[in-house]
Formats: sequence, structure tokens, C-alpha cells
Amino acid sequence: MIRIKVKNLNKKFKIGFSKNESFLSRIINFILIKEDKKELQVLKDISLEINSGEYVGIIGKNGSGKSTLLRVISGIYKNYTGEVETDGKIISLINIGSGFKYRLTMKENIYLVCSLFGLTHKEIEKNFNSIVEFSELQNYVNTKMFQFSSGMIQRLAFSIAINSYPEILILDEVFEVGDNSFKKKSREKIKELTNKNVTVLLVTHEVEILSNLCNRIIWMNKGMIKEDGDPGEIISQYS
Amino acid sequence: MKIEKLTKIINLSTQLAISDFKLKNEGSFFGLLWYVFNPILLFTLLYFVFRNNLGNDIHYYSLYLLLGILMYNFFQSVTSESTRTIISENNHLIKSINFPRESLIIAIVLKNIFSHIIEIFLFGILLIYFGLNFLNLFFYILILFLFCLFLIGISLILSSLTVYFTDLDNVWNFLTRLLLFVTPIFYVIENNQTLLYVNYLNPLYYYIEIARDVIIYNRFPETNMIIGSLCFSLIFFAIGQIIFRKYNKKIAELI
Repeated sequence: MIRIKVKNLNKKFKIGFSKNESFLSRIINFILIKEDKKELQVLKDISLEINSGEYVGIIGKNGSGKSTLLRVISGIYKNYTGEVETDGKIISLINIGSGFKYRLTMKENIYLVCSLFGLTHKEIEKNFNSIVEFSELQNYVNTKMFQFSSGMIQRLAFSIAINSYPEILILDEVFEVGDNSFKKKSREKIKELTNKNVTVLLVTHEVEILSNLCNRIIWMNKGMIKEDGDPGEIISQYS
Repeated sequence: MKIEKLTKIINLSTQLAISDFKLKNEGSFFGLLWYVFNPILLFTLLYFVFRNNLGNDIHYYSLYLLLGILMYNFFQSVTSESTRTIISENNHLIKSINFPRESLIIAIVLKNIFSHIIEIFLFGILLIYFGLNFLNLFFYILILFLFCLFLIGISLILSSLTVYFTDLDNVWNFLTRLLLFVTPIFYVIENNQTLLYVNYLNPLYYYIEIARDVIIYNRFPETNMIIGSLCFSLIFFAIGQIIFRKYNKKIAELI
């Protein structure tokens, strides 16, 4: 089954668009029509198909368009040309911990982030225990999260993501979190998910993960796909 | 819009509203009691300020004033929060998870409706104290519904414009203050023709006047007022949806 289908995807950003422009200067610019805008093409004519159960690693230099591609696929950037079709529920973990409100307790945060991922109240209640168990934070359920260490926050975010019934799991450089035993556990869990036909898309720079876990690598360079295929060869070229 | 998507939006909005509500009251000494204290303090203050000097020619002036202020405050807090929600409070969230972003706006309305209803409930007690029929308050549910449609619409417009005009919150602050004085909240408008014409374009005027007619003066509002409020609700709601949907495409890359 095809989970993600991208065809001739082009994505441009307008840069030189200064973000913090005030009301007045916007109006003046509008009247004088003087605004300089440069277009930066971040993704150039990308086409790919990803099937269910695939474990895809995306590599490339900084600024090669990896994160933009992930954001387009997960539906965060909606303004592009070309076709992007996805089939299945997408759970994206792009900036780790960004849905959390740190003055609330862990329990309240689990409910909040799960509903952001589109789970209903009942589903969250059902999932709650497995999330807490997986994160190994049973003793802190009613602790406010500003007191958590960064490792704990990452572990929680990760546990929520993989226990929210993903069908497409998108991870942006957040794969290896926590201590060694947690890393091992999350590897196994993700392996288990891919066996259940979940598609995993992963951006990382760590060659070891790519060669051991992924069954397909996409190498991006300057907004284009340079190589796409078997891990072994691509990784040896890349590094 | 599909039912499924709608329930999803409502689910998420409720959850966001609950979290925001908890955040707002987190660590406060009196906690929820503030929702009762605040309006009572406001009532007392207004009572002492306007006890003798003003509004003698208006029937039930204290109730007239208070209802206007309560509705204005509701309007003011919803709209000013929605000028901040996308660019400064939830920008990281929008950039990392794809969720229906309308929920952020609806959550603001839900959160403020809660305190508004408590205030209106206390207002009902005042009605009894003045010997008026508090059952009229049940009609307020209808008015509140129309009012909320209008609020959602205008908040959707404001929140999508803030992405382009970063200091819209300052402009909006000024505009709401202007509205406070243009809308007949402290005074009666009938004698002043110019102001009356200006207020025909002011949505707040319609909702507040209808609410006063029904609740305080126990009479059926004028037909043109009802039609006006209906139109403003539907027009703002529709325009809000259109504008938000259009800008929603670009929001994530501009913040």
C-alpha cells in the first residue's frame, strides 16, 4: 500500500520578507510598491513514493530541504506546487516538546498533546497508561513539567508520539532520546510499529542508525533527491 | 465541512481551552474564586462611581451600564487574545504539528465564555435584587450564540492578519478603546443623530441593545436590530472563514 505519494513537488520561500514589519511600514511599502523579495527554491521537482512498513532515513547537509520536505508531507506547509497525497494518520515530532505547556502537570500535558494529534478523549484515556509506562515516568504523573529534566521531556514527547496510533511517523532529528536502555527500547518499539505497517520517516545525521535500522535512504542535496535506495551504498558515498 | 473534522475541531478546542484555563489559574491564591470576585468588585466600583451623578434619566441605569460593560469586556478579551495567539503564543506549535488551527480561536472563545457566563449569572442575582424578571436571561443564550458567531468571525480575521501586520495588537487595542466610547455603553444614543448613524455600522451596538431590551426592559427588540445582528453574525462568520482559510496556507512559513 502506498502511504505517501509526492509528485513534482516544488516549494519556494520568499526571503527578504522581514518578519517583524510594523503596520505603518507595511502600508508605506504597499503604497510605494518597493518591497524586494527574493525567492529561494527549497525543494525542486521532488517525486517519490513511500509504502507502508517502510523505514526511510533522509540525509543531507543542513539547508538541503529535509525539514521542509517533512513539513510539507505532514501538512504544516500547505503552500506549494505539485501533488502530495498521504494515506493514514500522521504523527510528526519536529521540534521536540513544542506542544507542552510547562506550567501544567504531565497528565494534563499528555491530554493536550494527544488531542493535538487528533485523538479523542476516550482514546487518550485508553492510551494513557501505555504512554506513562513507556516513558518510565510513573512517579511524576502529577508533577508540573517545568521541573522535568530535558531527558524526561524528550522521553515523554517520544512516548506520546509512538503511542498515538501513528500510521505515518515523522521524526526530525529526535530519534535518539534518553539513556541507553530507553534508546534500545524505542528502537524495538519502532521496529514493532513498522512490522505493523507503520511508515517511519526519519531525518538524522547519525550513520549508525541509518545503516542498522532503515531499509531505504533518501539523500537530499540542494533541494533535490540525489540518491534514493538501499542504505549500504548510499551511506558509504555520503560519509 | 465534514462532521468528522468538525468534531475533531471541537474536541481539540475544548482541550486547549481547559489547558489554558488551568494555566491562567495556576498558582493563584484564590483560584476559581477570582471569577466571582472580579465581577463583584466591578459591580461595587461602578455602583459607587455612578451612584449619584450620572444616568439619572436612564431607567435602571446601573443594570444598563453593567450589561453593556460585561458584553464589551467579553468582546475585548476574546479579540485581544486572538491578536496574540498565532504569532506569539503558539508559533512553535504551528510549525511542528499539523492540527486544525481554527481550534486556537475557538478555544479562546470557549475559555472566555466560561467567565462571561459566571458574570451573567451574578447579573441575574442583581436582576432579582432590582425586582426584575430574571427568567429573561434564558433568551440571552440565543443572543450569546449570535454574539459568539460574530466573535469567532472577527477573531479569525484578526488572527490571520497579525501574521502580516505584527503590531496589529497595538492598533486593535486603540480601536477597541474607541469602540468603548462609540458604543452606547455609558450613555443613551437616541438623541444624537450622528452617533446613531455611526452605530448602525457597529456590530457591538446591536448585540448590546438587544440584550438590554430583552433582559432589563422586558420587551421584544426592534425588528431591524434583530436583522442587523443576524446579518453581522453571519457576514463576519463567513468572511472570517474565507480569510482564515486563505491565509492558513501560508501561516506556518511566515511565523
